Parts: sequence; C-alpha cells; structure tokens
Amino acid sequence: MTNEAAYWITLAHIPGWGPVKVNSLVDRFVHEYNLTIEEFLDLPESDLMQFYGLEQKEIDELNAAKAEIPNNAFLAEQLQHEGYELIPITSADYPQTLKDNFKPTHSPSLLYVKGNRQILHEKSVAIVGSREASDIALEFTDHIAKMATRDFKVVVSGFARGVDKQALDSALKYTGQSIIVLPQGIMTFSTGFKTYYKQIIDGDVLVISTFHPRASWKTELAMARNTVIYGLADEIYVAESSDKGGTWSGVIDGLRKKRKIYVRKPEPDEENANDLLIEKGAHPVDLYGNLILDEAALKARELDAEYGIKILELLKSGEYTTKDILKRLEMNWSDNKLREFLKAQKEVETINKKPLRYRSKQLTLFD
Amino acid sequence: MNRQEAEVVLQKTFQIPHFYDEQWSTIEKLIRGERVLLIEKTGYGKSLCFQFPAILFSGTTVVFSPLIALMRDQARKLTSLGIPAKCINSEQTPEENSQIIAEAKEGLLKILYIAPERQENPEWMEATRDINLSMVVVDEAHCISVWGHDFRPAFKRIINLVRLLPKGLPVLATTATATPRVQGDIEKQMGGDLTVIRGNLMRDSFRLFVVKVDSEDEKLIWLGKNLEKLPGTGLLYNGTRMDTEIYAKWLDYLHISSIGYNAGMDVESRIAIENGLMNNQWKCIITTNALGMGIDKPDIRFIIHTQMPQSPIHYYQEIGRAGRDGEPAYIILFYHPDDRRLPEVFIEGGRPCIPKYERVIRAIKSELLGEKDLMRKTNLKQTQFRVIKADLIDQKIIREVTFDRHKKMEYIAGSPALNTASFDELRASKTNDLEKMLEYIDTTESRMKYLCTYLGDESKSAFHNCDNTGQKKIKVIVTPEWTQKLKDFRENYFPEIIVETKGSNLMNGVAGSFYGFSNVGAALHRCKYEGKGDFPDFLVWITVKAFRQKLGKGQYDVMVYVPPTVSGDLVKNFTEKVSLILNIPVSHKLRKQRMTCEQKIFENHYLKHDNVADAFIYDPAEEITGKNILLIDDIFDSGATVKEIGKYLTHLGAATITPLIIARTVGGDIHD
Repeated sequence: MTNEAAYWITLAHIPGWGPVKVNSLVDRFVHEYNLTIEEFLDLPESDLMQFYGLEQKEIDELNAAKAEIPNNAFLAEQLQHEGYELIPITSADYPQTLKDNFKPTHSPSLLYVKGNRQILHEKSVAIVGSREASDIALEFTDHIAKMATRDFKVVVSGFARGVDKQALDSALKYTGQSIIVLPQGIMTFSTGFKTYYKQIIDGDVLVISTFHPRASWKTELAMARNTVIYGLADEIYVAESSDKGGTWSGVIDGLRKKRKIYVRKPEPDEENANDLLIEKGAHPVDLYGNLILDEAALKARELDAEYGIKILELLKSGEYTTKDILKRLEMNWSDNKLREFLKAQKEVETINKKPLRYRSKQLTLFD
Repeated sequence: MNRQEAEVVLQKTFQIPHFYDEQWSTIEKLIRGERVLLIEKTGYGKSLCFQFPAILFSGTTVVFSPLIALMRDQARKLTSLGIPAKCINSEQTPEENSQIIAEAKEGLLKILYIAPERQENPEWMEATRDINLSMVVVDEAHCISVWGHDFRPAFKRIINLVRLLPKGLPVLATTATATPRVQGDIEKQMGGDLTVIRGNLMRDSFRLFVVKVDSEDEKLIWLGKNLEKLPGTGLLYNGTRMDTEIYAKWLDYLHISSIGYNAGMDVESRIAIENGLMNNQWKCIITTNALGMGIDKPDIRFIIHTQMPQSPIHYYQEIGRAGRDGEPAYIILFYHPDDRRLPEVFIEGGRPCIPKYERVIRAIKSELLGEKDLMRKTNLKQTQFRVIKADLIDQKIIREVTFDRHKKMEYIAGSPALNTASFDELRASKTNDLEKMLEYIDTTESRMKYLCTYLGDESKSAFHNCDNTGQKKIKVIVTPEWTQKLKDFRENYFPEIIVETKGSNLMNGVAGSFYGFSNVGAALHRCKYEGKGDFPDFLVWITVKAFRQKLGKGQYDVMVYVPPTVSGDLVKNFTEKVSLILNIPVSHKLRKQRMTCEQKIFENHYLKHDNVADAFIYDPAEEITGKNILLIDDIFDSGATVKEIGKYLTHLGAATITPLIIARTVGGDIHD
C-alpha cells in the first residue's frame, strides 16, 4: 500500500465526489475487475465510461485530480516521513466497526492516522457532549471512561473542550486507551502530538482524521467529524446536549440510523436537551452509566425474572418444546424470546429432535 | 521524436551537434516516462541527459543535487542558453529562494535545482502542491547508499519520494562512482522498473603516480621543490584541516601562489575561492575533500593527495575532477606507512559506542525534543549525535518530525531494538575498502585498470598512463638546504585563533602551537592533570615567539588570564612569566562568580556555552574601560570560554581583547 499513497490521496479528495461515489468505484475496480488503484487511475477514458459508467464531466474531474498525483507524492512522502499512516477502505487495517456502522458505501474512503493502529480493532465507547459542559456532565464522562477502561474498551472522543477533553484525559488517567478523532487535517495537529507524545509512543493513543491532511478546522469538518466518532464506537454515551449543535445533530442522526445511544438522565434543575433526546428514543442512564428503566419496564423485567426461575424449575422435570413451556407456564412470551432466553442459559441443554426440545443439564457422576 | 530530430533541437538550443549513444538511449527512455540509472564518468555529459528532455516537457524538472557549486554553475549555463533554470540553496537569502519558488509555482522554470535537505523546508513542501512536475532527477545518486563513499541521510527522503511518484513520471538517477554493490543498492532502493546504463570509466588523459615517502617532511619538500613545475593549476588534497592550514602556510612561506580552503569557512570566502579556482587565480588550492565536488572546471591540470583517501572509490571520485577537457592531468598520491592511521580512525571512530546510542534512545523516549536539547541532555558531540541520529532514523527507531516549523525527534512506537550487526558489517566493508586502497598503492600493474576494475568497469583497453606502465616514477630528493628551509618554517609558524565576530571587541589572536604538534600537548597534559608543576619554559618561549611574530605590532595595556577550574595557578604563573618578558602588566581581577566545570567534559558547544555563560566577573569594571587587553589561556578548543570572556569584557567597555594561547586543538583532539 505504501507506494499507492499518492493515488489514494488523489482519489479520496476529488472536490465534490464524496465517499459514496469513490467507494463504489473502489468496490468495482477491486472486486469486479481486480485492479490496483494505480491500474484503475491509468485506465483510458473509454474504459471509465464503458465499465464504470462515468460521465464526461466526471472524467474531466478525475483527470484534473490525476494531474496532481506527482504533487500528492510529495505530500505522501512528507506524511510517511513524519509517521502518519494512510488506511484506505480496502485495507485490512480499516476498522470493521466503521464499516458496520456506516454502510461500506458511506464510510470514509481514506483514513489518516498516527499512533497505535491496533486500537482501531478494540471494542469502543464514544463519549460525547457539549464544549460548555457542566460539572456533573464531566463527572459522568469520568465514570464512563473509567468503566470503559476497566472493560478494556477504547474511549473515542473528538478533542474539543469540555466532554471530549474530559473523556480523553479520564481514559488516560485510568491507563486506558483512546482514539482522538480530529475536526481538521492530521498535519495541523502539532499541539496535540506534542501534548500526547508519551501516550502515543506508549501505544495508548491513536489520532485519526478523514480530511485532507493539510485542512484546517472548519465548522463543517467538526460536524462531519462527529459522525466519524459515532461510526468508530460500539456504544455511544451522551453526557450533555443542548437542542442544537454538533452533539444534538449527531445523536439525532445516530437515532435515525438505529444506533443504541445512552444519554445521561439529567437532574430536574438542569437546563439541557438530554430529556428531549431520551424522548426521541435514546436510552437514559444514571451518573454511573446504569440503564434507568421506567415503571412499566421495571415491572416487565421483574415478571420476566420470575418466569425465568419457573422455566428452569420446569426443565429439571423433563424435556419440553418451547410450545410446551409456554402452555404449561401460561406465559405471553414470543416463541423467539423464549428461544433466545434458553440459548443464553448455561444450565440448559438443547436436544436435537424435531421440534427442538430443552432440558436441564444432567450432572453425570461417571464419565 | 527520433534521434535526428532531437539533434536538430540539440544543435539549436545547446549548440552541440550530436548525442553520445548512451546519452541518447537515456534520453529516449526518459521521454517515454521510464526510470534510468546512468553511471558515467565525470565530464561525460550526464547533465545533458536530463537538461535536454527537460526542455521538451511542459512542466518543471526538479533536480536534487547535494552540490551547491554545481547547481549554481549549471543554472547559470542554462540561463545563458536561454533555458529558464534556477537553484534553491542555503547560500541564497530566504527572499531569493522564495522568489524562485514562486517562479516554479507559476511554471516559469524548466529546471529547478534543489538540495535534498530542502525536503525538510515547509515553504518548499507547501510549494510542491502547485508545481507542475514533469521529471525528477537524483544527481550523485551514490549518496543514497551507505556502501558508497558519500552516504547522505537526506537522500533517504528523495528515495521515498521516488517510490511514491506515479508510474510514467520520468526519473533519472546519475552518478560517476558506483561500485557494483552501490549500483545494486541504488536499484534496490529505487525499486521497480529501473534501467541501468553504465559507461566506461577509463580516463586515459590521467597520469597516475604514487610517491612513497619516508616522512611527512618529504611530502612538504617535494611540493616545495616541484609544485610550480607542474603544468597549469590544480588541487592539493589533505586529510585534515590542520594539515590544510600547515600546507597552506608552507607554500605561502615559499611564496608559491596558493590558498587554503575548508568547509568551515564562511560562504563568501568559499565562493570567492571557488571563483578564484575557475579563473586560475592560484597555482594551487590546498583543501580537504570539501572542495571540488561538482566544480565544473575543465582544465584542472593536477590533483595531489598528501593523504590517501579511505577507498579507491573516494580516490576515483576526487581525482575525477581533473582533466575533464581530455588534456593530460597529473594525479599524484603521496604515501607514508603511517598514513593508514587516519582512515583507520575514521573507520573505527566513525560510529559512537553503543551506550551512546542507548543514551540517545532513552532521551528521545522520555520526551519530545529537538536536536539542541537532546545534545544538552545527552552531552554528545554534534558530529557523533548526527551519526547516531542518522542511524536511528535509518533503523526506523526514531523519526524526525516538524511541529510548528521546529524539528523534533520522535520515538517510533514498537520499533525494533538497535541493530549493531549492520554497523559491524559496514565497518568490515570499509576496512576492506581501505585494504583495496593500499593495494592500489602497492600494485605493479596499471593503476587506471585497477581503479576501473574496482568500480565494476571491465573494459579491456590497455593503459599506459601511470608510473607502472611507462611513466617515470617520482622520487623525492631531500637536500640539506630544503631541510633547513622546512625547519625555519616550522619554528616560525603559529596557529591563528580566529574569534572576531560582530558585536564583540574580540580580535583574532595566536597560539604558540597546535595541541597535537610535537610534544606541546603532552607537556600541557602532564602539568594540568598529572601534577607535574608549572608549565615548562619552552611553552613560555613558543608563546612569546608567537606573540612577537603575530601580535608584536599591537599595543596592549594589560594581560588578563582565564581563571582556573581545576588546574590551580598554572595559567596565572605562566601569565606572570610572559608578562615579565613582554613587559605588559598582569591583572588578577578576572574571576569566576560561580563554579564552572572543566570545559573538556562537555562534548558539544551548547553545553560548553551553558557552562561558562555569565560565569565571569571583573571588579572594579572601570579599570578595564577603553583598555587593550591580552587574554591568556592554556588551551583553545571550542573557544566558548574565550568568546564568553570577550563578550563580557566588551560589555564592560574594553577596547580590544586579543587571545594569546599556548596551544590550539584541531577538531577536538583533546580527549584523555
């Protein structure tokens, strides 16, 4: 890959193209035609039209970009020299979480990173929230970071003031690992690289950017960066959000994409939009990240727990199908829910008959 | 474009009727967007191989070259032919360089010459976004390889760049001196489809001589007697800067037109000497190998070495500068059995010891620092530090990064342990090269053939151009008259102390001797560190003599001496003796206001400077105002102490401060 760097930089940043267009081309030339990016960019225009469906305007744009490959070679050399790495979407190093959360079509085509790349493949928790966070939001952030670290999860944050910074500092305080997602090009982050020098060389911090390496901070980039934070995380915790701005739109976008998002349940006197997000479908958690359930849900949970005990009791007395169980115990669970439950129980074994039967595991005295 | 058509353009633009075959085949490939490694002897016309295609391409050709003189020279020649060419280099002002970069961005230049180190420069890196690049040339490509004679770490980045350049962008690498091993290394590093074009390296206009002598004196005497009999003008290469100084003074003493040159000189002096060389201003320039590379003077008629180089490849490279016009050139190498010691020291001492590497790695791991702070933290000499740095970068243990225009060394997470085996391998290879150099001296066969074979040129021509194949051998005949002349010279020769700078009233002074010359250093050492009492009188005499010779015309009001760190009253007592003889009063009022350490424990000038900064006090200060002061010390090494005192006394209003020293070191030879 290293020698292809100039080509990837060129393809990833064609003005107006965006990841959907680039990724679909990448998908084609890699999977359908088995070409390297170098070979793809060397194709005659006729092939680009015929096999890739590019229009004249797009071909002109591509040609203009191609003329800059030598210039991008200088840039690529500089990146390499200064220890920045490129991870194109075709690379095995590209984080699966990102591809799962975005569809592959919407994932950033090229990542620029510095630090321990391995972190990209660990379980991860994003902690987000406003720049002007309250003390309680920062305390929450600290708890979540501590919990994540304890569970060997990486904390993802955006290196803004407030919650982001707290998330990073807490993760490092508890000797955990952290991913900093930049709202700017990776070559413009000198201060951060200086500040986190030790943590980076110790392998505890990875800095990542999806923008042109020399791009400076812009509001649009900060917005786009937020979606990358969500994309890189397996779980998302919101410390504090107002009813507009980056955190808000990020969570709304996440909910639309059916992501599971945990929002800190605010104290009654807090003025923020956390409750609003909970109303819109985010899950409320307490200061320590524990899920808060409403009364009906609590009741249901209690009931389920009772049924659970009854089921296990029943299975000690013989083999039953799910139908039998539901009938015997007069339960209103769905068949699916019951199967899931049974599958999750260590002391239950499945007997491979049709229909499937279940019973308690027999303790055998003689092997 | 076929060759015929190309030669029409060639005649029109360069006023040259034809290409050599190898030139044309190189050019043909470049026009097709291919990559070529061209190995041809100096003076062959390698530059035309990129200059010609460069004028055909629509954009700019960027030529990476380590040789400023060559870049300047070629840019000038091209401009005179009407081809827009410029060079960016460290000897021009930042404004000039910015202007040239702007021209390149606007596409106004066909050829842009640039030093590889420029890849570190943010302005240049920024400019590379906009330049319409049509070809890349790597001149002196042997600098890529540690197996060559002139490895330069900055070339690593150029190689990485070449690897990243798109296919179809022509790349030319050129060198005059690549052994098969170096060639292989260049091919491997540049990677991919690289065509090698190798010409023959024979120079039949050379007249090669080896002169075995019984002493250093014989070299000096032969030169004194014969230098002016050699045709035209030429170069005299010495092994060390000290020798350069001594040989220059010797020729000067004999009124032979000559001048000394070394890499430590300021830019203006160096350019003046380079220009003087072009205009045959002197019979001979006495220099270390810093001069000559890339100087395109066709009629250098002789090249003499008073010290053999480390390897035949170094030697071939250095003598390659002679006789480019094809007329005869005298190539003379002096050899005394002791001469092998200097290259051996280079080979053995070329690499610092492993604990020093470890010290640097530890420092870099603990903190993100720049070179200056790291040198302070590790107390290493700059030269050693740079070797370590280059090795650690090469082994991918550290990298040099630029944050906000400041360079810092960064440890690479998960990097491998220091590989010392490669150092041993390199040392073995260099030792082998040195043996080959000695073989050249002892060979009874054709010397030209010996060099060509060593460089991988297997051409079968017969050579009759050395003292083994028909040329008369050179013998040194020593007469009493010349022995006396040399003795007189030695007794009247005193090393200068060059310390004049703007903003200080320090004047250039003089030393009684070099530290390493005869028994001076040993005598100082015995007194300073072995408690053998006051400095012996002969040191007083040479110092007084040096004073009379060089400073005798000046007026001095008072002598002050550098207050001691450990050696007690040695310098004080010495100063009092000198004072009695010269009849200049001594003042004892220059004191230290805080403890300092012995300067010799600090390995670099940053720490030496820190050690003595603001350490001195003179009370009462009024006594010194308007006075002409003679500043006495025993040893002048980095000069940090003398400079600090000079600065301080200037501040107090001293009119002049002139150092008078017992012995001056050369390149830090004072390590016990």
